[in-house]
Amino acid sequence: MPFPRGLLATVLALTLTGAAGAQTATPPAVVRPDQLAFKALYKELVEINTTLSVGSCTRAAEAMGARLTAAGFPAADVRVVVHPDHPREGSLVAVLHGTDRKAGAMLLLAHIDVVEANPADWTRDPFTLIEENGYFFARGASDDKAQAAIWVDSLIRLKQAGFKPRRDIKMALTCGEESEAYNGIEDLVTNHRPLVDAAFALNEGADGLLDENDTPVVLEVQGGEKVYQDFTLTITNPGGHSSRPVKDNALTRLSAALARIGAYDFPIAFNDATRGYFTRMIPLVPADKGAAMKALVANPDDAAAQAVVTADPMWNSMLRTTCVATMVSAGHAPNALPQRATANVNCRILPGVPVEAVRQQLMAIAGDPDIAFTLAHEPNRASPPPPLTPFIMGPIEKEAAKLWPGVPVVTILLTGATDGVHTNAAGIPTYGVSGIFGSSDGDGIHGLNERVRVKALYDGRDFLFALIKDYAMAKGPPAAK
Amino acid sequence: MGIWRKAVAGAVMAAALPGLAGAQSAAAPRPDQLAFRAIYKELVEINTTLSVGSCTTAAQAMAARLKAAGYPDSDLHLIVDPAHPREGNLVAVLPGSDPKAKAVLLLAHIDVVEANRADWTRDPFTLIEEDGWFYARGASDDKAQASIWVDTMIRLKQEPVRPRRSVKMALTCGEESEGALNGADLLATKYRDLIDAGFALNEGAGGLLGDDGKPVSLSIQSGEKVYQDFTLSTTNPGGHSSRPLHDNAITHLAGALVRIGAHDFPVQLNETTRAYFTAMAPLVDAETGAAMRALVADPTNAAAVAIIARNPTWNSMLRTTCVATQASAGHAPNALPQRAEANVNCRIFPGVPVAEVQAQLIALAADPKITVTPDATTLLTPPPPPLTPAIMKPLRVQADKLWPGVPIVPFQSTGATDGKYLNSYGIPTYGLTGIFAGNENSGAHGLNERIRVKSLYDARDFLYGLVKTYAASK
Repeated sequence: MPFPRGLLATVLALTLTGAAGAQTATPPAVVRPDQLAFKALYKELVEINTTLSVGSCTRAAEAMGARLTAAGFPAADVRVVVHPDHPREGSLVAVLHGTDRKAGAMLLLAHIDVVEANPADWTRDPFTLIEENGYFFARGASDDKAQAAIWVDSLIRLKQAGFKPRRDIKMALTCGEESEAYNGIEDLVTNHRPLVDAAFALNEGADGLLDENDTPVVLEVQGGEKVYQDFTLTITNPGGHSSRPVKDNALTRLSAALARIGAYDFPIAFNDATRGYFTRMIPLVPADKGAAMKALVANPDDAAAQAVVTADPMWNSMLRTTCVATMVSAGHAPNALPQRATANVNCRILPGVPVEAVRQQLMAIAGDPDIAFTLAHEPNRASPPPPLTPFIMGPIEKEAAKLWPGVPVVTILLTGATDGVHTNAAGIPTYGVSGIFGSSDGDGIHGLNERVRVKALYDGRDFLFALIKDYAMAKGPPAAK
Repeated sequence: MGIWRKAVAGAVMAAALPGLAGAQSAAAPRPDQLAFRAIYKELVEINTTLSVGSCTTAAQAMAARLKAAGYPDSDLHLIVDPAHPREGNLVAVLPGSDPKAKAVLLLAHIDVVEANRADWTRDPFTLIEEDGWFYARGASDDKAQASIWVDTMIRLKQEPVRPRRSVKMALTCGEESEGALNGADLLATKYRDLIDAGFALNEGAGGLLGDDGKPVSLSIQSGEKVYQDFTLSTTNPGGHSSRPLHDNAITHLAGALVRIGAHDFPVQLNETTRAYFTAMAPLVDAETGAAMRALVADPTNAAAVAIIARNPTWNSMLRTTCVATQASAGHAPNALPQRAEANVNCRIFPGVPVAEVQAQLIALAADPKITVTPDATTLLTPPPPPLTPAIMKPLRVQADKLWPGVPIVPFQSTGATDGKYLNSYGIPTYGLTGIFAGNENSGAHGLNERIRVKSLYDARDFLYGLVKTYAASK
């Protein structure tokens, strides 16, 4: 994921004591034979370097495809899809056919590319799976090869058990999530839609949070994410000599606009994920904050409750579109009136709000018709938040209760972004759920010494396997078009 | 000019005179004007910006022209600091017949302000003549006067009679850019003998055209405001832009810049500006003239100030000004800015301490998270050079040849020129170009810089006659 895992991790840091940085965890008491088989698969995937610079997702896709065919999948149901312009950025698509052709398929989505890792900077080789102190260490050990390996392992186990799902179970392991040039799932939903078409999808984007004693606190389910959009503000002026300034100054006018934008708060709006989130959080936070959350869910216009809840930057960002000035450049010489002043305003837009509406609102706030507001990059396709229906939440609650009794399930709106933005925009409601618990320090995702607790990985595997079976047999959404 | 542009008075009259018509097409140029135009074109088309240009190349080109006109190598001095190889200066000397008579120094800078081709209508480094105008970066500031000086030196050399006084010319670099090596400062401190003179002529003041295109007044600059940059800076822990806070470095800085942009410093007068407004009062419309008289009588007359301050140059003559000219903030579009900085450029009324202006800016910023720091505090605050009869009488005579009866208006420059250095080191330096302009924006330091073809040619005639007179004078 392009942003640190565990939205809640940041939020709870305010209320829990800070998680210790110690990299020791209690390993599983007993490792079952099926877990050892999974570990071999996981090890193979992690140890194939899939960085954009020197690695190859195509190799990893081929290796995982070989495991599926070895487990009995017909070759026709296992496809490595490689865009001709991106030979090292291949994806793997597979399907386990269901018995009910009218039942909408489910899609298991994960990305297999990883963030760059410089071995010189790491304590251990980032592309060797190392088990130590109850952790697996490697680049991709968590993000996102943990879930990718679980998906492959799940399909193999279902096939070998002779499991006959009601609905098709599709899997897409894609490349390019961590970088800009090419995105595998975007390619697949655009150019290979039948391979990945589904009534809903499971993806990364939310995990479980451990406290400082490695005790589970909450299990997160991601139901949507904000939309990233940069705007460029530009104002020009004839300029002239700075010895005879005039009030009409490009930098002063840009400053006035930025001051107004900086003071502005977009309106608060709830969606399924955030309503669920703030409802569930009430008992988990101090009483005053809990009371404010309760009041805010009941009445989003409650100013006093707004003030308490939005004091936390993460909660604030979950509740509203945010736009913040991140860069400014103006003028060409210290002794000349500026001819041009530009700024970048970075917005994180609530799902469902059109980019153009945000642009118009920024222009209205700025109140200066001579300032141009342009999109700094192509906007992402509109991505409505997926509905958090009982069909989706029921099995999660049921299976979570079996593994982690009493641990609340909390829905979140991700303020960052995942590949779910592409599938949601393509009409495939996509939910982030991994069942893998970690600590609030992020466990090295995107950074050095990325790691995952061995027990948490194995537990997440058990959870997701059960969840897949539940969804596969459930009566639910009609077939996708 | 680091300061101020075309004829001071030109901009000054904007409020009082109706809009000026465009430049008129001049009569066909004389052969000597075409020869001058070739020098001017060559100089303008050599890019002398600090970023990618070379004053050294320009200095070498002008030296080659002087050598071709008969100057021996011993009278041509290319002065280049090894640490600034592209910021060279040229000094040329035409020895006078009387070794006891003090020299006349002709000063101009040859570096220019940056110019981005994409923002200009025409290529800024190609001299383009269009509808009676020359367009180019440096067409006015200051390559107009620089090429007139080169042309003057060539013509003086060809005169049958040697001047009584030595005539020296210094073409310098680094006038426009803070941080560049200032050639005038370098010459005045390390090559004093080479450029030593009884007085110097420099950029800093020209002439004003009325709406009928006729000369209204001719300005001579004596004294100038003090140039001072301040850096406003604020830092912040930053963080991920998906979780913004109201405590944002850019927002803090923006608030301060808005308040500074709205502020007017108090009105002040001194002897030079009193003389200026007194001389200007009869030249402008009745309302403005009355306001000028009222202002001279009582600087606290707010109604008079309001009328006069409509004109940006008059406003700048009345008070210290501070304006935001540059800003830079942030390091990535998706990260909260950890630093935001702005440059605020002040032109300080002579006599006002830099620290007083700094304190006012801090008060205006009204934000403890913002620091306000003066850049390389200016220590040079020379008194205005005296406007003696030896200067003013030949000026009157030469002005009457081209522009009979046009009033000569003493003027305190709102910007800074290299005259600051020479005045500080004991060479009285007057701003005098004789280049007339209307009240339009000349584009100096900005886009599409331009100068009237006729104004340039007339100024060349005027300055040549004036230099000859000064050089021959007792």
